[in-house]
Amino acid sequence: MEATAEQATPKAVPAPRARPAWAVVALQELRDLWLYGRGLPLALGFSALLSVVTYLAASNQSLNFLEVHEAVNLALQVGVAVGAIITLLTAADAISGERERGTLESLLLTPAPRRDLVVGKLLAALSVWLVLFVITIPYLWFLGRNVGAVADALGAGATVGTLVALSLASLGIIISALTSTNRLSLSISLFVLLALFAPTQFPTGAQSGWFGDFLLRVNPISAALHWMGKVVVDGHSWGHDADWLISPISAGVVLTAIAVLAAPRWMRLRGGSPG
Amino acid sequence: MANNRVTTAADETVRVDQIRKSYGPVLAVDGLSFTGSAGEVLGLLGPNGAGKTTAIRVLTTILSPDTGGFAIAGVPGTQPTRIRERIGVLPESAGYPDQQTGLEFLTYYGELFGRRRAEARKMGRELLEEIGLGERASSRIGAYSRGMRQRLGIVRALINDPSVVFFDEPTLGLDPAGQRQVLRLIASIAKERGTTVILTTHLLSEVEETCSRVLILNRGKMIAEGTVGEVTRQASAPRRARFRVAPEQRDRAAEMMRVQAGVREVALVGDRSDSLTVTFDRGGAELTETPAELARLVDALADGNIAILAFELEGARLSDAFLAMTGEEV
Repeated sequence: MEATAEQATPKAVPAPRARPAWAVVALQELRDLWLYGRGLPLALGFSALLSVVTYLAASNQSLNFLEVHEAVNLALQVGVAVGAIITLLTAADAISGERERGTLESLLLTPAPRRDLVVGKLLAALSVWLVLFVITIPYLWFLGRNVGAVADALGAGATVGTLVALSLASLGIIISALTSTNRLSLSISLFVLLALFAPTQFPTGAQSGWFGDFLLRVNPISAALHWMGKVVVDGHSWGHDADWLISPISAGVVLTAIAVLAAPRWMRLRGGSPG
Repeated sequence: MANNRVTTAADETVRVDQIRKSYGPVLAVDGLSFTGSAGEVLGLLGPNGAGKTTAIRVLTTILSPDTGGFAIAGVPGTQPTRIRERIGVLPESAGYPDQQTGLEFLTYYGELFGRRRAEARKMGRELLEEIGLGERASSRIGAYSRGMRQRLGIVRALINDPSVVFFDEPTLGLDPAGQRQVLRLIASIAKERGTTVILTTHLLSEVEETCSRVLILNRGKMIAEGTVGEVTRQASAPRRARFRVAPEQRDRAAEMMRVQAGVREVALVGDRSDSLTVTFDRGGAELTETPAELARLVDALADGNIAILAFELEGARLSDAFLAMTGEEV
């Protein structure tokens, strides 16, 4: 039998391509975080906290101190806020941690573009938010299952939480690239976080009037949480209070752009120095 | 970079041309120039703060030189990414992720150098076998000894099959056995792979055995370059002779030798009652294999009826040359 051209030269199976460097870094960081690192203990702690909050919200709901939508909103706000905090702290360790452990120089000596190193680390930090949000889902379902509030809460939480987590993870990367020690990076990150969350703790009087309104709107976290409350508690449509999303979206875009475009240039052996 | 006109000869893997690097007012490297060839082990020596690590960081593209140029494996310093593809580096005090296994660590770096995961894993396994860590491939790095980590760092620098490797103080903190093991590994890398090795270390005696050429840096400047023999001759390092005489004659022998011309110092050897070390004024190229000073000493002792039980003219040591050139002990 005569061999056809196809038989004579078997079709070459294309060799699998090497992964892009950002994917290599992201996958290794994910392994380090979730298999060997503090990802699982943090998730466990988060789950315990949410259990307590849900128990309190459900108790108050039973006693008619809290309306169902308010109970769902409370659990969601805690989930978003704590998830964002943990995401920020994970990102704040990303570069300064490597610097402190003496592993940054070896990374910088690879031909992988520094931007890919940053993007990989940013994605791994965002995985924290993703996992913590998934953990939040059953708690929200438990609190809001009878009134159909879960879908809106999940949609609003995912949107706002992802925006806030992206902003804070980018901020953490920027701070981590600029600081010389891990302790300094974590301290600055915590300080910024406290400053950002402060307006949410203002008394109601301080939140009214044009200045209070301005403070709430300009702060991406308070604005995001306010918008989420309007959707979940007041049942507003997503577009009804969309102007409250201006600062969270702006912060997400600006901080991510700085983290991806500028932070790679600050990724040096010593934070904030030419070396 | 001021000077981009760097040429590279066919067998030349490293060409450094008048590199200068300063940190603010502090000049760390001042006009460093040298070349390196395939299969050569170049020892970069100098006291602390001499500029060795800065020089390596410039050549490995971590820092940019203020002026001057260089080429590694034919790639000019203006193309850092292409240079990083061709070099391997073990930085000074390199850290290791304790939670990763040795194989995972090498696979990760293999992938960062553009290898596919399976290929990087295979290469990682081979390299671990090569350094005797094959059985510990799946152990966490946190459980490795310091020597094992250092060997792991050395093979990490080889994961991309580089043309030039830089080892910055690879024996730091290792015990003598670990130091010898690492230096043997480094020598074999140059010999078997034909790789150019640039090595900084404080172990001068080991450098004498391992390095084909040495460069001595002091305060950012290169003050000597050549083979160990050439450098010791350049330094005019003083040479020494060791005498063994009868214990009861030792003190008289010492007095007689001290008054001879050309003798700088006569010292007792540790707590031995029969040995003396004589240091001559002249050294290096000035002092030939059969120095007249030595003949005069032997004659003087014979005239004084002192029996010489044994004597040995020590070769000029790199450590003496280093001391003579930099004024600092290693």
